[in-house]
Amino acid sequence: MLRIEHLTKVYPNGTEALTDVSFEVADGEFLVIIGLSGSGKSTLLRCINRLVEPTSGKIFFNDVDVTAAKGAEIRLIRRQIGMIFQQFNLVKRSSVMTNVMSGRLGYVSTLPSLLGLFSAADRQLALDSLEQVGLSEKAHVRADSLSGGQQQRVGIARALMQEPKVVLADEPVASLDPVLAHSILKYLEQLNKERNITVLCSLHFLDLVHRYATRVIALKDGKLVFEGTPNQIDDAQFKAIYGQEAERISVV
Amino acid sequence: MTLSNKTLEATSSPSPVGWISLIVPGLGQFFFGKRWRGLVIFLMTPILGYLVNWSLVHQNIGQVEIGSFVTSWLWLPFAFFWAWNLLDALNLAVGKSINALIGVLFAAVILYFIAWNVTDVKLDRLITRLSDAKLVATDLVNPDMLTISVNGRDQVCAWACVTQAIGDKLAGRPLQGNIRLSDNLLDIIGRIKPDKAPKWLVNLGLAQAGSTPTQYVAGTLIETIAMGLLATIFSTILAVPLSFLAAHNVMSRVPGGSVIYYVMRAFLNIVRAIDTIVWGLIIIVWVGLGSFAGMIALTIHSIAALGKLFSEEIEHIDAGPVEAVRASGANLFQVIRYAIIPQIIPPFLAYTLLRWDINMRSATVVGFVAGGGIGFFVIETIRPGAYPQYAAALWAVAVVIILVDTISARWRDNILRDEPRETPVATQAWRGWLKGVFYGILGLAAFVYCWNLTGIDLKAMFEPAPTFLRLVGDFLKIDLTPAILESVTQQMLVTIFQAMLATTLGALIALPFSFLAARNLTGRSPATVWIYVAVRSVFNVLRSIEALLYVAIFIFWVGIGPFAGMLALSVTTFALIGKLFSEAIENIEPGPIEAVSATGANIFQVVIYAILPQIVPPFVSYLIYQWDINIRMATIIGFAGGGGIGLTLSTYFGSLQYHKAGTVVAFIVIVVALMDFTSAKLREKMV
Repeated sequence: MLRIEHLTKVYPNGTEALTDVSFEVADGEFLVIIGLSGSGKSTLLRCINRLVEPTSGKIFFNDVDVTAAKGAEIRLIRRQIGMIFQQFNLVKRSSVMTNVMSGRLGYVSTLPSLLGLFSAADRQLALDSLEQVGLSEKAHVRADSLSGGQQQRVGIARALMQEPKVVLADEPVASLDPVLAHSILKYLEQLNKERNITVLCSLHFLDLVHRYATRVIALKDGKLVFEGTPNQIDDAQFKAIYGQEAERISVV
Repeated sequence: MTLSNKTLEATSSPSPVGWISLIVPGLGQFFFGKRWRGLVIFLMTPILGYLVNWSLVHQNIGQVEIGSFVTSWLWLPFAFFWAWNLLDALNLAVGKSINALIGVLFAAVILYFIAWNVTDVKLDRLITRLSDAKLVATDLVNPDMLTISVNGRDQVCAWACVTQAIGDKLAGRPLQGNIRLSDNLLDIIGRIKPDKAPKWLVNLGLAQAGSTPTQYVAGTLIETIAMGLLATIFSTILAVPLSFLAAHNVMSRVPGGSVIYYVMRAFLNIVRAIDTIVWGLIIIVWVGLGSFAGMIALTIHSIAALGKLFSEEIEHIDAGPVEAVRASGANLFQVIRYAIIPQIIPPFLAYTLLRWDINMRSATVVGFVAGGGIGFFVIETIRPGAYPQYAAALWAVAVVIILVDTISARWRDNILRDEPRETPVATQAWRGWLKGVFYGILGLAAFVYCWNLTGIDLKAMFEPAPTFLRLVGDFLKIDLTPAILESVTQQMLVTIFQAMLATTLGALIALPFSFLAARNLTGRSPATVWIYVAVRSVFNVLRSIEALLYVAIFIFWVGIGPFAGMLALSVTTFALIGKLFSEAIENIEPGPIEAVSATGANIFQVVIYAILPQIVPPFVSYLIYQWDINIRMATIIGFAGGGGIGLTLSTYFGSLQYHKAGTVVAFIVIVVALMDFTSAKLREKMV
């Protein structure tokens, strides 16, 4: 279970990205975070695994205070939380296999990992993860020879290497052709349903939200402005979140 | 609001705010939002004033006597400059702008007049001593590479002799004499002769200690190649770890890392500001004369240059993978290994190859001070005035450097293109492995050979000569007495002006030639392609030889002094600027030309509206870059008799006055670092 209490983030340049945000995520939920660009979605997700340092407030992950963790403790928490990125964030020159293996780094000791040595079990796990996203035959090609959709699936396989309890997905389909959006989100849905992994995912398109979310929160200018089920977002709510000029559009 | 109201009212009479530029030049411009112009004027005014006064007091430059009142006429353009600054500010106040070129012109009059005088430009000598120049030129195109024995007497076999011999051979006539490679050429490229058996041969049991088997004995050029190669290998290995300590995005993650970052950056900048040649002077005190000292000097400078480039490359990597690997719970070392290193390998290799090219060039001159290599050979030929022998060395250097330049550029291209390799098929895997082993053994053999040739003596490194400790001590308590400061300042100014004149002269001559060497202008039609090839070749040959090696020619022509140094610098400037300019012309986009032509514009209008706007910014940027390079080169041009601060430095080193030499080195570091910073900032603004 994930509990966020009065989370505030002010960047050194004075930008207040999050203001007093509080909510809870139960195990097994598919929580979607919506909001305009710059509303604080990315900052919120990155505060949860401390890629961004919160200014104040607390985050509890299974009753462990994430905000109080230090050094090695942070890394132990991080390895239980997988993350998927808008730009995939693969090392383009490394092989797919190496990229996937890098998801295991939090579990292995430093010296062997620096030499590129991983246990047979870890290698098998990597192959299984690639199989899960349908890319087993691409294990030994360079990451930049894959298409965008395939690269994001490698990103998912990398997150699976962590055997995560939670997956944070930061706009996972925003850099992809809209027709590929469902293929990626279906993989996330599969993890959510079959492995009971909690998913926190930020999204742009509202019809994707309706299709996949079990619950929705909305951010506007760093403040939580909505919390509920997808069906509860009516036109008035929509305008409140996205501004008066926004129009509903849909994606295939 | 008050300001803009005032500006509106003041259309007839200038705003009083502009008048502030009368008292503090540039401040008015600063107020009206022209921050850069204001800052430049604010800095330039005192500099110009200082220079006018300095050149009058020390060198009587621009001196005029009005009755008993002695002053410099240069105060006149200075006053005009000040007046222009005021007019500019007043015009800005009413929202108008006057041409900045006028101000630049007045400043240029002052700077170039002083530069002309301190560099001791004597144009008449170029003419009156033309016969001397012809002598050198004849020797240069007739290098001592072949020897012919006529009636038992050896003489140089130059072009005339070679063509005659070929003609004789073709016609079946007997040759005039026996032609062979000259001893001079063999000194350069090496010869096969009996010599003392090297240690490795003895250790392998292939030769007896003290025996003299017939073997290849390397020449000075081979020694130079070995120095450049080893320096590149060592400096790359050492620069990689240092570059991580000087990368902000890595060090900000480590406690106390910011301090290490700033210390490392400062260290790299200081070491880089001291030229290889100057390092050579310091190192010979440490390990003694020879190619080993030259190699260390090259390595030290190269570590700093590579360290800076490497660390900037680390700072510019894609942050995404770093974030992703951190998010998986990896520690700092794992992040470096899995997210940073894979990204930096291609640029690091490319920079190493670039540095190899630069190191080879420096290796050809480091022998001027450190002994060893072709640089030392050149000194030995110049002293007795053996110009045909010197010419042979220049041609040999040109061949090697052009070769290195080509190889390095081609490999860099391949590496930076960085295409994903096809998946190796199983049958080819062992071939690739075999190839790897073959190149590995070849590389190792080359490394061991270079190691032996360079005479690397690790013991000497750890047992520095006692004078070296004195040098370090003296460098720490540098001489800052007014007399020394004054003479060092004076020589430093000469050096800067030398660089300025050389840049101007070289660029002016290069400008027309660069159009002739642009592929899109002359390289396409069969009628003009020979022009393209000829001019490009001249650029490449001239560019392959360091300015320091050219000085000897101009000393013979115009005499020792800053003028000769300036001319030598302008030759390399001509070659490099010519190449860069012509590439800038080749990079012109055809789109705007098409668009302007489509409007019905004539050729002149096309040049003004579509071509000039595309080439002026890169031209100016290259000029600034070249000026920066020339200042560095000008600091050492004195070692070959080219005047300036290099002469002062070698005098102090030669007379063991290390505390004064320390002052000079400190000055060089400050000036070079300052110029480096300014030129980088200016070029950033240009792009």
